[in-house]
Amino acid sequence: MKELLVKTHELWLVTLMASFMSKNCDAKRDLNDFSDIIFRHFTWIEKLLIKNNIEYDYNRDEIPIRVERTKVIYNNIIDRINTLELMLVNLDDEDLKFRIQKDLDYIKYIVSKLPDEEVSAFNANRTYKDIKLSKEATDAFTLFLFEESYKEYELIMVYNYLKAHSSDDYLNKIFQILVEESFFHLKRFGEMMAIMGILGVPRIIHKSLYQIDDVVEFLKDGIDEELAAKEQCLELSSAVAKDSKELAKFFDFINYQENYHIALMQDALKHYQQKGN
Amino acid sequence: MINIDNEIIAHMSNPHNYGRLEDATSIGIGENPQNGEKVIIYLDVEERDNEPFIADIKFEAIACMTTVVAGSIITNEAKEIPFSMAEELIAVTLGMLESVPPEQAACSEMVAVALKAAMDGYSQSKDKEKKETLIYKIEQSCSPDLEFKQEEIR
Repeated sequence: MKELLVKTHELWLVTLMASFMSKNCDAKRDLNDFSDIIFRHFTWIEKLLIKNNIEYDYNRDEIPIRVERTKVIYNNIIDRINTLELMLVNLDDEDLKFRIQKDLDYIKYIVSKLPDEEVSAFNANRTYKDIKLSKEATDAFTLFLFEESYKEYELIMVYNYLKAHSSDDYLNKIFQILVEESFFHLKRFGEMMAIMGILGVPRIIHKSLYQIDDVVEFLKDGIDEELAAKEQCLELSSAVAKDSKELAKFFDFINYQENYHIALMQDALKHYQQKGN
Repeated sequence: MINIDNEIIAHMSNPHNYGRLEDATSIGIGENPQNGEKVIIYLDVEERDNEPFIADIKFEAIACMTTVVAGSIITNEAKEIPFSMAEELIAVTLGMLESVPPEQAACSEMVAVALKAAMDGYSQSKDKEKKETLIYKIEQSCSPDLEFKQEEIR
C-alpha cells in the first residue's frame, strides 16, 4: 500500500504538469480536474495507511517530464495508471478500490482522446506573454517561480500531512484552506513557468519538513516565512512595475494573499496554544 | 542574485542526483548555522585499488534554489571518482568561494562541507557496524581556508 501512495503521488504530479504543458483549454481543464481527483486518491490512501498503523513518508522517484509532444506525456500518464491498477488489486478496502478504479477508468479514457500538441514549456524562452523585462528582472522572476513553486508544493504536503495526523476539526479546517490556497498558487506559478519555457517538477521534500515535532514552532516560522514572501513580492512588483503593469499587479495580489495565510496561521497558532498542545 | 542562463535553468528544473540514496554507505550533512539550511549528501562508497571510490551520490537540500543548483553541479563532478579526487574537488570549490557573492558562496560551501562530512564519516566508521553521520557547519565568513568543524556525531 505504501508503493500505491508513492505511485499515486507521482501520477498526481505528472497529470498536474501535463495540464501546464497543454495550450488546449479543454485538455488543460480536464487534466487540472484529474490532478485534483488523483490528489484526493492520495489523501484517501494516506488515511488508510494511518488507520492500519503503516509508517510512510512522501518520498518518491524523480519524475521526468521533458517532452516535445503532449501525446508522449499522455501515454506516460496512461502507463502510470495501468501500473496503479495492478497495485489496486491488492488493496483490501473494496469500497476505496472501486472508487479509485472507476475514477482511473474515466481519466484513462479521456486522456487517451486528448489532442496531440507541440510542447513549448521547456524551451527556456523566458518571456512572459509579450512583456519585455530587463535581464535582471527576468532572472529575479525566473528564480521567484522556481523557489515559490517548490515552496507551494512543500506547503501543500506539510499541511496535508498535519491534517492527516490531526483529529482537531478546527485545525483541520485551517490546514485544508491552506492546502487549497497553496494549490491555487502552485497552479498559477506552474502556468507561468510553462509560458516562460522553464517548467519543472518541484523537488522531493525532505521528511523533516513535514514530520514535525513542534507544531507551534513550525507555525511561528511559517508566519515569518510568509512575511518574508510578502517582502519579496513587493520587491518584485517594484522591479517589474515600469515594464509591466500586469506583472506588478500580480505580485501585489500575491503579496496581499499572504495576509490571509498569515491570519490563518496565527489563528491555528492561537488555537493550538489554547488547547495546550 | 545568481546569474541565470540555460545551463542553470536545466539544473533548477531538473537537479541532477537529487533525492535519497537507499542503503547509502555514508551520509554527511552541511549546515548553515545562520538560517538552519541544510544539505544532506548520500554516498555509495566502494573500495577500489585500495582507495574509497564514490560509486554513486545523491543529495537533498533544505535550502534555497541556489544551493540546489550547487548540489546538482558538485554531485555531478563527485560521481564515480576516488576520494582523493573528491578531496581536490572540495578544495577547488572552497577555493573559489572568495570570488562569488557571499550568499552563493554559502550555498556552494554547504554542499562541499556536506560531501566532506560524508567522506569523513565513511573513513571514520568504515570498519564499524554502526555508521556515523557527521554534521559540518559552514563558516559564516565563507573563508576559503576553512577548517572543518565537527559539530556533532550521531
